[in-house]
Amino acid sequence: MIPVMQYDPAWHARILRVFSCALRIWGVPGTVSRDPDDPDGFVVAPNTGPAMRVRHKAPAGWTVTLRDPAPGAQAPLGRHVGLPGLLRRLRAELAPDAPAGRLVIGAQPLLGRDLGGR
Amino acid sequence: MAAVPVSVITGFLGSGKTTLLASLLRDPALARTAVIVNELGAVGLDHLLVEASDEEIVALDGGCVCCTVRGDLVRTAGDLLARRAVGAGAAFERIVIETTGLADPAPILQALMTDPVLADALCLESVIATVDAAAGAATLDAHPESVKQAALADRIVVTKTDLSDPAANGLAERLRALNPAAPQLTAVHGALDASRLFGGGLYDPGLYDPRLYEVRAHGHATVTTFCLRRGAPLRAVTLTLFLQVLAEHCGAGLLRLKGLVDVLESPGRPAVIHGVQHVFHPPAWLEAWPDGDHSTRIVVITLGLDARWMEDLLDALDDEVAALQER
Repeated sequence: MIPVMQYDPAWHARILRVFSCALRIWGVPGTVSRDPDDPDGFVVAPNTGPAMRVRHKAPAGWTVTLRDPAPGAQAPLGRHVGLPGLLRRLRAELAPDAPAGRLVIGAQPLLGRDLGGR
Repeated sequence: MAAVPVSVITGFLGSGKTTLLASLLRDPALARTAVIVNELGAVGLDHLLVEASDEEIVALDGGCVCCTVRGDLVRTAGDLLARRAVGAGAAFERIVIETTGLADPAPILQALMTDPVLADALCLESVIATVDAAAGAATLDAHPESVKQAALADRIVVTKTDLSDPAANGLAERLRALNPAAPQLTAVHGALDASRLFGGGLYDPGLYDPRLYEVRAHGHATVTTFCLRRGAPLRAVTLTLFLQVLAEHCGAGLLRLKGLVDVLESPGRPAVIHGVQHVFHPPAWLEAWPDGDHSTRIVVITLGLDARWMEDLLDALDDEVAALQER
């Protein structure tokens, strides 16, 4: 079955930029491009190491596979409901030593009780 | 009991922090202020320059407040509050922390934001950075700490303006590019009206005026400051995921984030958000918008992060959340 493109060019451009900039943040030299075999997919190709195929499944969800590690085979790396999990997976695969933070919500109220907050 | 406002005075070595503080403490408006000063090195000297006064002054010695003595800072603030609670020591109404010249203010703010003992008793009021009018530009070139201090500040005090004019020598424009929202005040020999330094807050709509962030002809090479704006309300889940991704991937590159957010699930009652690197306050909810602009405005101060990436990330996350909710 021929896959049908679900999204418009603006969506593709946006996701491409999200991935490309993420590579820069992680310090991974490489490229991100549209997947020629999947109208809603992308290929994340570090300069060293195997490329990854990132496919979107509407309405939300992503799969990541190593791109053709052997002829006729693709090694699945994971499925993710959303971009946060997908980005975490890509960083773990491409830049395992890149610093990973964790959102911490402090205990201190933002506005003092006398400053109008609640 | 109302939370005690706590402010942090930072600034590079010799930029006039102590002179400013000494002058401020003479202002009747700051008569009931506890001061925590911190000196780098074995012997604390700076506090000797602070004139004897009725205020409670505590010195932290033996390390930089952002590094080895962060625990001491928390303990000291806790001790001050405990003594105040039982009527011992000065009955202060405000705490001012003076950092060392080499301190990174971010860990200090994080310590104040996250310590469970201090959480209910303190509220972060203001971060003030002093910059030497004469030597400031060279210091910004040579010392990344000073760039971070100015970038993180809510207010910048340019000192020694009797020696050099910050408008003429380009410093004022450079600081504006570095931190467009921070008012630049001037102080000669520390003289400055205290009311211009304290008060206000993150809900001040002037902070989120997008025009402040439009022209940045002389932006600093590494620090970028921008304002993300959205006309349509953001879903609460989108906002949470956005902050989660930033905290997870941007690390130390995210210096500070503060915003007024129109949350879809809370019409007419904007959320105020504030974070230092990956540490955030719980969002606060205002009773009403502080001005006529009801759009989401998020000011982000970063070390080399791309504004377009954040815009794209926010949009992409919102697309996903919308798709999941409609499913």
